[in-house]
Amino acid sequence: MALPQTTAEASTPPLRSALQPRRQGAQVRTGALRWLLLGPALLIVMATVLYPLVSSLITSFRDWRLIYSPTPGPFVGLANYARAFTDGGFLNSLRVSTEYLFISVTLTLLIGLGIALLLAKPTRLNIFARTLLILPFAVAPVLKGYSWRFMLDPDAGVYSRLIGAVVPPLKGYLWLGHEFSALLAIAMSEVWGWAPLFALMFIGALGSIPAETTEAARVDGATNTQIFFRITLPLLAPVIYIVALLKIISALKMFDQVVTMTGGGPGNSTQTLYYYVYQLAFRNLDMGYASAVSYLLVVVMGLFAVLYVRVLLREH
Amino acid sequence: MAFPLLWMLLTAFKTQADTYSPKLFFQPTLDNFRAVFSNPIFLGSHVWVSALVSFMTVAITVPLGAAAAYVISRHRFRGRETLSLLILMTQFIPAVVVAIPFFTLFRSLNLIDTATGLVILYLSFALPYAIWLLRGFFDALPVEVEEASFIDGCNEVQTLRYVTIPLIMPGILVSAVFAFISAWNEFFFALILARSNTQTLPIAIQGISGAKGPEWQQVAAASMVVMVPIMVMSLFIRRYFVEGITVGAVK
Repeated sequence: MALPQTTAEASTPPLRSALQPRRQGAQVRTGALRWLLLGPALLIVMATVLYPLVSSLITSFRDWRLIYSPTPGPFVGLANYARAFTDGGFLNSLRVSTEYLFISVTLTLLIGLGIALLLAKPTRLNIFARTLLILPFAVAPVLKGYSWRFMLDPDAGVYSRLIGAVVPPLKGYLWLGHEFSALLAIAMSEVWGWAPLFALMFIGALGSIPAETTEAARVDGATNTQIFFRITLPLLAPVIYIVALLKIISALKMFDQVVTMTGGGPGNSTQTLYYYVYQLAFRNLDMGYASAVSYLLVVVMGLFAVLYVRVLLREH
Repeated sequence: MAFPLLWMLLTAFKTQADTYSPKLFFQPTLDNFRAVFSNPIFLGSHVWVSALVSFMTVAITVPLGAAAAYVISRHRFRGRETLSLLILMTQFIPAVVVAIPFFTLFRSLNLIDTATGLVILYLSFALPYAIWLLRGFFDALPVEVEEASFIDGCNEVQTLRYVTIPLIMPGILVSAVFAFISAWNEFFFALILARSNTQTLPIAIQGISGAKGPEWQQVAAASMVVMVPIMVMSLFIRRYFVEGITVGAVK
């Protein structure tokens, strides 16, 4: 640790690296206060995160059907995990979640980019429009589901009527009654929240592209398309990477709108992983197997989480 | 993008007939709001439950989160970075993993269908999130300000009180709003725990169904009650919104 300093030179310039101990703070910030301030939060995090994480892991090696017994059953080794790979319901939910992930991530990025390019010029109207961009995100996911279900309702839905007017064969089409369009509708309800937010991030990144770059390219005879693909897109790449990861993680958690829009149907075509685990645990009360499947979900999400956290740490 | 919001707003003031023949211009009515605030839906009681649970979540999350974030940002101790990373990683744990053990535990403790049970579950994601978000605010605060206060002879508690806390207020506000929104909008835990006493608003809205499915104009009216306070709060902290969602990944 650094020697005690009492002179005014102690406040070193802000260039100090994080690896050097803080000279002043070293002896002033005391250990007693440290644990007093950190303790309560740590205790709660351990009780609400660490405990269930360990408990779920233990349960995942047991046979425990809450219908038959209020206490955990015998250990069955890896049987619950083995069961998942031959369970049609689980494999189906894996497929649904993967499809959903691709649909929603692609749509969010494309629409987000579209909005960003539309509002890129800082006119007064655009700046006002940007303010509105965060609003859909704050809407409760349950309500996102309900508003889209309402707008796609074949009788009362304003969107389904508009689409029917433009494309007559789709008049009265049951959007939530067909496998692919139901998944698409769920994706749209989420895209509506995320795309504007991503647009804001893209606008921020677009703003950091110097005007000289694009002008120089134009002078050299580049077309708009070339400028977009050769300059704009590569410079946006880091932001696109971050938001794609963020969207993947959120897509894997899709649950709320499945409940409010489709209930997993038609058939089991919109049963996402989250929804399937929910069914196993809180409908079938098959706690052992549900824990095992939820741990498989932990592994999948963990992979993307590690990638995301790596970006975060680069920023810090 | 704003159209669905506008459409829900309009629908909230429509009669059933106007709802089912989509019109832009109509004779507005307040009947839907009357309907959802009276029996059998009785939205008022759900607003109370939601507000109670959200405020309790904020009241625990923000002070404890700020205290922990301060220590992680300003103190040097062994395992600091590891701890900080673990706290961040909790954000990526699926809620189902947390829900299963607590569900079985709460059944034996009689905490199913209680506000306490719900708040405990909400702390599992709200507290680590607040710690990480506030850490960003502390890190952005130049340490020299605090050091100047130490040089003037203040001890750490005095410095916190007169220098650090006043300067970190924006961060406190932002994390309070985020904690509130996350609890207010939460659906998964509420669906598992709520029976009849502690149905939060998102659960209550599920119940607004006639014989032929949801009464859309009533759903729209109830949605407005849920959405409007959240929108006002969001606009209030819009400068920090993107940073809050990405926990600081996009600067």
